[in-house]
Amino acid sequence: MPQFRMTGRGLWITALIVPPLCFVALFIVYPIISAFAYAFFDWQGLKRLDFVGLENFHTVLFVEPYRSWTLNAFKNNIIVFFALMVLQNGLGFILAYALWRELPGARFHRIAVFLPVVLSTIIVAYLFKLFYHPLFGVVNISLKSIGLGEWAQPWLGQSGTALWSIIAAQAWHMVGFPTLVFLAGMQRIPSEILDAVRMETESEWVKITKIVWPLVAPSATIVFTLLFVGAFNWFELPYIMGGLDGSPFGSTDVLGLYFYRTAFGNVSAGQQDFGLGSALAVLIFIFIAAIAAVITTRLRAREIQL
Amino acid sequence: MAQLSLRGIKKRFRDTEVLHGIDLEIGDREFVVFVGPSGCGKSTLLRLIAGLDPISEGEFVLNGHRMNDVAPSRRGIAMVFQSYALYPHMDVYENMAFGARLMGLDKPEVERRIAEAAQMLRLEALLKRKPRELSGGQRQRVAIGRALVRKPDVFLLDEPLSNLDAALRSEVRLEIAKLHREIGGTMIYVTHDQVEAMTLADKIVVMNNGRIEQVGSPRELYETPANTFVATFIGSPRMALVDVTREGERLVLANGGSILVGDLPGPKNMKLGLRPDTVHLVRGASVEGFAGRVEYTEYLGDNAYVYVRLADGKLLSARTAPNDLYAPDEAVTVTVAPGAAHYFSAEDGRRLTP
Repeated sequence: MPQFRMTGRGLWITALIVPPLCFVALFIVYPIISAFAYAFFDWQGLKRLDFVGLENFHTVLFVEPYRSWTLNAFKNNIIVFFALMVLQNGLGFILAYALWRELPGARFHRIAVFLPVVLSTIIVAYLFKLFYHPLFGVVNISLKSIGLGEWAQPWLGQSGTALWSIIAAQAWHMVGFPTLVFLAGMQRIPSEILDAVRMETESEWVKITKIVWPLVAPSATIVFTLLFVGAFNWFELPYIMGGLDGSPFGSTDVLGLYFYRTAFGNVSAGQQDFGLGSALAVLIFIFIAAIAAVITTRLRAREIQL
Repeated sequence: MAQLSLRGIKKRFRDTEVLHGIDLEIGDREFVVFVGPSGCGKSTLLRLIAGLDPISEGEFVLNGHRMNDVAPSRRGIAMVFQSYALYPHMDVYENMAFGARLMGLDKPEVERRIAEAAQMLRLEALLKRKPRELSGGQRQRVAIGRALVRKPDVFLLDEPLSNLDAALRSEVRLEIAKLHREIGGTMIYVTHDQVEAMTLADKIVVMNNGRIEQVGSPRELYETPANTFVATFIGSPRMALVDVTREGERLVLANGGSILVGDLPGPKNMKLGLRPDTVHLVRGASVEGFAGRVEYTEYLGDNAYVYVRLADGKLLSARTAPNDLYAPDEAVTVTVAPGAAHYFSAEDGRRLTP
């Protein structure tokens, strides 16, 4: 019979693990489970009415106007994900490579690139709202001053440019994060491996694609997964820069905003519907969890031990 | 064909000069070993030849072409690294094919060369393995194979045996020597191990503090070391250096006896270099020879080394028959055959020709 005795070390570990576990259970696991439960009921304000089965899911997916709203927000999330994949992760990789190769000024830029990440999202959002201001914004004034005045436009005020303008702000804000993760990955590559490559080619392209990129695979897994989760949970920037309705005309609407609006109501449409909101939240959660699991396992497979 | 000339090579890292003007000629098919203590600049010199670091001053000429500004991949030089530096995400075949493909060789030629190298290095069964699934000795062979398939003019090997255990080390050492005989390329080999240097080299370059101390065959270095540094660096146990004064036909150790050397030219004060196999021990005190006391004995089976503390405090080792045992603190007299000793200047340590 094995004996389970509490040793001093075991006591320490228990003492350190139990509080965060309680925290996670209370503020993460419980809300998720309750959202699952809420999604199967009809609600009037905060008052729970009848059990309605899958009715709420059916409504948000197949009944107009919810159907169009859901699809529109989902489409925008997909655009955000792929755009940020290029602008944030792609640029981050290139920046990391430049910093890693110790190009002139690397020490300064290492800090400069990461600095925006520590700024509050609110500050970044307001800053870029000012930048994009049709009359006084630095973007339009710069364009005019270099003779490209006809390109000046109300960036956040028209459907064609609003989402992309917010994406650009997001990329500027967070590009330092993938840069840092990639840089850390590159710094783990032994210098003799790089010397070995230099003995065989002087092409930066070959070095990047055949050696550096495969060897920073663990960093790529982290960065891709986090970007995916972040892109489909995107809320703060579009909320502050585009508003709760995803204006203009829903062009900046994303699932996060749409869920919030549905569950808690907004200024123009005072109604709130916890049932539909919870159904949306559950769908978003399942989608993110499933895809993130696939991404992680797929990318894990190509990681190698250095 | 490979003819290397290093002319006045200097290397500076910011303000610190680590190589102070290296002049060296390396001929075709030579096996050259750079040897010296850590920090002597031997690996730095190898990296300059490879092109991995820029040359600060001087000229490196390979087959009549100045190489200073030529990219490492275009010099016709391949390098085997201390840590092997295999690409961890590629299998053995890919590791060897990578460089060959980048040279623009067509597929059948790449395959032919890999098959040839794999056969020579006994890697056929391992071609589909990843580096992490290989033992140290196998990785070593893949690293050499990767260099082989490029068929370079010059092979550089940077301490290739230092990550192997002792038994494997002597085995791989023999393989490298055999390989050099078979492929006949010019090889430059860096090590701090003088046994590797002695056994492998056609030509040894002894380096110290960023300078070349002596260049020569293993026999030349052992038999006629140019100075006290080379004399003590080559040979194990190391040569003892004894400060002596010439008085008439005798060399006198302060308070410690003397030896008869006959009519010897040269300065009054000199350093006498004594290798363990050139001295003889006589028990007890004697008129002829240096007085000393036994410190300890190393028994090696086929022979033994006795370490003797001389009267002036210097430690000297003598090779004796394994059965010839001396007790610690036993008084002995060290005798020397005059022709077997080395003579060095007391001032700058240069060899004196008697």
